[in-house]
Parts: sequence; structure tokens; C-alpha cells
Amino acid sequence: MKKDLIVSLILLAGSIALYASLSLMEEPAAASFPRVVIVLMGCLGLVLIIQTLIAGQRPPRPVLQNNHVADSAKAPKDSGAANRFSFGTLVVCFVLILVYFVVMEKLGFYVSAFLFFIILTFVLGRKDLTLHKGAVRIGIAFIFTAILYVLFNKLLVVQTPKGLFF
Amino acid sequence: MAEFIQYFPLALTIPNLLTLILGVIGGLILGATPGLSPTMAVALLVPFTFHMNPITGLILLGAVYTATVAGGAISAILINIPGAPANIATLLDGHPMARQGKSQKALYMCFISSLIGGLFGMVIMILFTPPMAKIALKFGPSEMFWVAIFGITVMAGLSSGSIAKGLFGGMFGLLISTIGYSPMLGVPRFVFHDVLIGGVAIVPALIGLFAIPQVYSLAEKLNVQIERPDYKPQKGILLKTLIDNLKMVKTLSIGSIVGTIIGVIPGAGGQVSGLIAYDQVRKFSKKPEDFGKGNPEGVVAAESANNAMVGPSLIPLLTLSIPGSPTAAVLLGGLLIHGLFPGPDLFLNNASITYAFIASLVLAQIAMCIFGLIMSRYSYMVMSVPNLYMIAAVTVLAVYGTYSVQNSFADVIVMFSLGTLMYIGNKFGFSAAPVVLGIILGPIAEDNFLKGKLIAETDVGVFNYFFSGPMNLVIILLCAVSISYSIYGEIKTIKKSKEG
Repeated sequence: MKKDLIVSLILLAGSIALYASLSLMEEPAAASFPRVVIVLMGCLGLVLIIQTLIAGQRPPRPVLQNNHVADSAKAPKDSGAANRFSFGTLVVCFVLILVYFVVMEKLGFYVSAFLFFIILTFVLGRKDLTLHKGAVRIGIAFIFTAILYVLFNKLLVVQTPKGLFF
Repeated sequence: MAEFIQYFPLALTIPNLLTLILGVIGGLILGATPGLSPTMAVALLVPFTFHMNPITGLILLGAVYTATVAGGAISAILINIPGAPANIATLLDGHPMARQGKSQKALYMCFISSLIGGLFGMVIMILFTPPMAKIALKFGPSEMFWVAIFGITVMAGLSSGSIAKGLFGGMFGLLISTIGYSPMLGVPRFVFHDVLIGGVAIVPALIGLFAIPQVYSLAEKLNVQIERPDYKPQKGILLKTLIDNLKMVKTLSIGSIVGTIIGVIPGAGGQVSGLIAYDQVRKFSKKPEDFGKGNPEGVVAAESANNAMVGPSLIPLLTLSIPGSPTAAVLLGGLLIHGLFPGPDLFLNNASITYAFIASLVLAQIAMCIFGLIMSRYSYMVMSVPNLYMIAAVTVLAVYGTYSVQNSFADVIVMFSLGTLMYIGNKFGFSAAPVVLGIILGPIAEDNFLKGKLIAETDVGVFNYFFSGPMNLVIILLCAVSISYSIYGEIKTIKKSKEG
């Protein structure tokens, strides 16, 4: 309940801040549609706060997330060793993707994709990494990148981010 | 119907047929892969179609959409995890059949009944879509504005645990669509950073909102072990299953009709059609106690219904821009990036593309059945792909797909930021589908809102213009019904859990 309340308050505060930012717009007429939307967002933020306060802890109800039926209340409440490990994995995943973006501008799409594939599978899958598995992962990364190269460069003939190599 | 026959050969060219087969095979694999949602699969494909001609691109999207619905049944039957929400009812009897050593029969039944239901739904779609599009001709700015709002209310109720959260997501999507230069006045809005100058394009939003949260979800479940399916091939079972299946006329009829009716209702979705058809067939059965214990009729009812839903669910999409499911919302994004706007224009000025697309959906149903039957015995293989590879592959494809549309690195940053934000939102019960629909329908809503406001100010006044007239009132009533129905559902769930 506490988490839901905090989120609802953040949403309401965000809506108020956005409403305030409308006054900075050069042309007031351009703000008419966003104004209606932000007012509605604010009202819905209020509804969420009231809902959380009145209903208290809501019983879990199936939620469609990315086309998967998930449990709305279960995911954030789950804690314990397994989830703490997941959080660390998430942070590693987030950082690796950021590094991939930076490197892509320097090395180009294909080289960075190949390296990202290898590094990600090695870092996230380090627990069960063996010489054989490492070789398999490098092989899959190579095949995957080669397929992308043929598909994008030869069949679809589209531009990909260029870098030092190709 | 005459136009459908006239443009049917366009779907039969060699490149289009090859694309269709590729899309169907890919869709079956993606549908069967636990952890990869059909919506994400179609979202990742949208930028690929941007580089194809519109007919071929839409054929690819349609084929994947059709096949993922049936493909999701493979994992439902074999490992008790529905590949898509549409397959929830399939596992009720499909998985018990697999546990009894009848995996192959269950899968064959699934694909044959999917074909029958799917073709029934397509016939209804072909007959009713063009007349429905003519109704949209009578819509002015106020009606179009309300239609956009109706689309968002429908999606908000369908995909979120809380209607307030769903509507907030929809409004957030509408607000995102206003980022960048105002289309009517040319002044910048909400451009807090240079990357936002061009606004938020549909493709980065689609990919970010659907693919990036999936990447994080896969990372969360790195150590989850999936049970190995028990699959024993049996010789000569196809003909026997086909005959058994065709004997279930009553079950197939109930499934197909329920699926079609639910499909036409905007937002009702595939999971509802499968469950309602399953329930109805059980009620009419002489042995209702057999359901849930591996009764083939349960599989036939669920699968004929969820595939019968595919065609009719596109009727509100193609005529009024109201998608019936999150995947259909992504399909709408695919239409828009090819400059195809739902409504009468689609059937008058772009008739060749539209009818070739519809024809390809019919062919996709047939191809789905053929390749589904062939691939059944190898389908367990895709379920053993480790999450590690999927994380890497989805990320690389998401980056490429986003970059390729406008050759813009700013789009990649927008995609990743939106996706990370959506992942956090998912944790608090917010869903991506209403946000996506808000972004897609935002320009339609704003354009018609401003046009309506201009007309109203010189005529009857803003309130009277938007809140009078039979068409406006009907659509407003539908919005109210959609929201009320969701609130009723929430109250019912709370009451049930209190009683339980």
C-alpha cells in the first residue's frame, strides 16, 4: 500500500509540474490539448491516491503485461535471496546495454553487436561457464551476427550504425 | 467481396508467398517460445517491414500475428505455459492430454480446429469490414476525437489490473505524442533535451515499451528451469485426429461463433473468447465432468474460438482505428508507418494493399495449419533456448529496428528510456498497451480536437459541439460503458477475494 501511495503521489506531483511547465510554451494555443490531457492525468493521479487510501491493500488481479498474464501484486512484493540476485542481474544488464550503445557509435553495429552478445552471455551466465559453453556462446554470437549482416546488408539493403569497422 | 477476389492474386506472388511462409514459421516459433510475447515479436518486426513494399510488409506482420496465436498453444499444451493470453483456455485440457501421452494428438487437434475457426472468422471479416468502413465516412472531427478516446478506454480496461492505471497510461501516451513541434502552430512542446526535438516516433515507442521490459523480465528469470515436455510421436495419427476433429461439429460451431462475436467487440480479446467458448462447450456437453482432465473437446473449443477472433478483431481496427488486442495495436502502428490510415480511405484509395493484406490473412490461416502440423514434433526444441541468448538477441534487434527507421541514434535513446520506465511501471501494475495506443492515437485525437474546437468556436460552442449529436453520444456512451464495465470487474474481483 505504501509503495502504491508513493507512486500515486509521484504521478500527481509530476502532473502538477507538467501543468506548470505549460506556461513556458511560446504559443499558449499549442498547449490547449496537452492541458486537457495533463488535467486528466492529475485527476487520475488523485483517483489512484484515493483508491489506495480507501481500499488499502488490493487483492491481486491478473494483469496483462506485454501480453503475459502476470499477477499485479505479486511481482513487487516478492523478495528474498532469489530476487535480490535478480536485481543485481538487472543492474548488470542495464549497464551492459548502456555500454553497448556507447560502443556502437565507435565500433559500428555489427562488431558491437557481436561483442555485446558475447560479453552479455559471459557475464550473466558466468555461474555455469565452462570452456565448452564459452566456445558455444562465441559460435552462436558469430552465427547470429552473420545472419544479421546477410539480412540487413544483402537482402534488405538498409543502413546500420557505422563505426571504425563496418 | 468482388474487390477481395479482384486483389487476391496480389497475395499470391512468389515474394509475397515466401514472406507469408517465413512469417508463419517465425510466428509459430515465437508463439511457442515462453518468455517472448507475440506483441513484442510483432513490434520488433515493424521496422523490418518499413524497408519492404507495403503489401509484403503487411503480409509479414499479418502472418506473424495469425501464427503466434496458434503457436502459443504449443507451449500451453506441452509445458503448461500459455505462449499468449489467447491460449489460457487451451492448457486446461491440452496439458492434461500431454500428460496422458497424447501431446501429438492435442497439437494436431489444436492446429486443425484453429484453421476451421480462423477461416470462419476471416469470412465474417471479409463480409463486414467494407460496410463498417462506410459508417466511418460520416464521422466528423468530434466523432473521430471520441473514437480515439474510446480506443484508449477499451485498451485501458483490457490490459491493466486497474482502470485508473490503464487510463493514466493512455493519457501518458497521449502526452508523449505531443512532444516535439506542434503540428498546427510549429512551436516546440516538452522538448527538455535535444533528443526529443523530433518528437517520439511510433517505432521506437513500440519497441521500447514492449521489448525492453521483456529483456529485463528475461534477466530476472535467468535461473528458471522449464520442465522438459514429454512428446512421443505416434504413426498414422493425423488422419484419425482429422476425422475425430471434424466429428466435433457442435464444439467447432460454438467455438467459431463465440470467437467471432467476441472478436468484433473492441477490446474483448482472445483470452476471453477462448475461455467463454470453453465454458459454453462444457455446459452443452453430456459429460461436463471430463473437462479439465484431458478432454479433446476442450482444446477444440478454445483453439477454434481464439483463431476465429483474429479476423473479426481487425474489423474495428481497419475501420475505426480501435485495436482489439495489444498485438493489434502494434499492427496499427505497422499500418501507420506505411502511411495507411484506418477508415474508408483504406478501402477506397488503398484497396489493393488492404485486400491483398486480408487475402494473405486467409492464406496465413492455411499455412499456419500446414506448418503447425509439420513442426509439432520439433516444437519442444524452441522451448529449450536459454534466456541468455534471447536477452542478447532481443536487445540487438531492438536497437537495430529503432535505428533503421530514421537512422537516428536519438531514437535508440528514446526507445531505451521509455522501455526502462515501462519496466518500472509494470512492477506497479501499469501496462504498455494503453501507453502505446495513446502514442498512436494521440495525433488523431489532437488534430480532431483542435479542428473541432475551431469549428465549435465559430458555431455552437465547444461543449455543444463535442457533447451533442447522435454519433457523439453513442461513442461517449460506449466510453462510459467500457470504463463502467472495468470498474464493475474490479469491484467483483475485490468482493470475490474478500469472500474467499
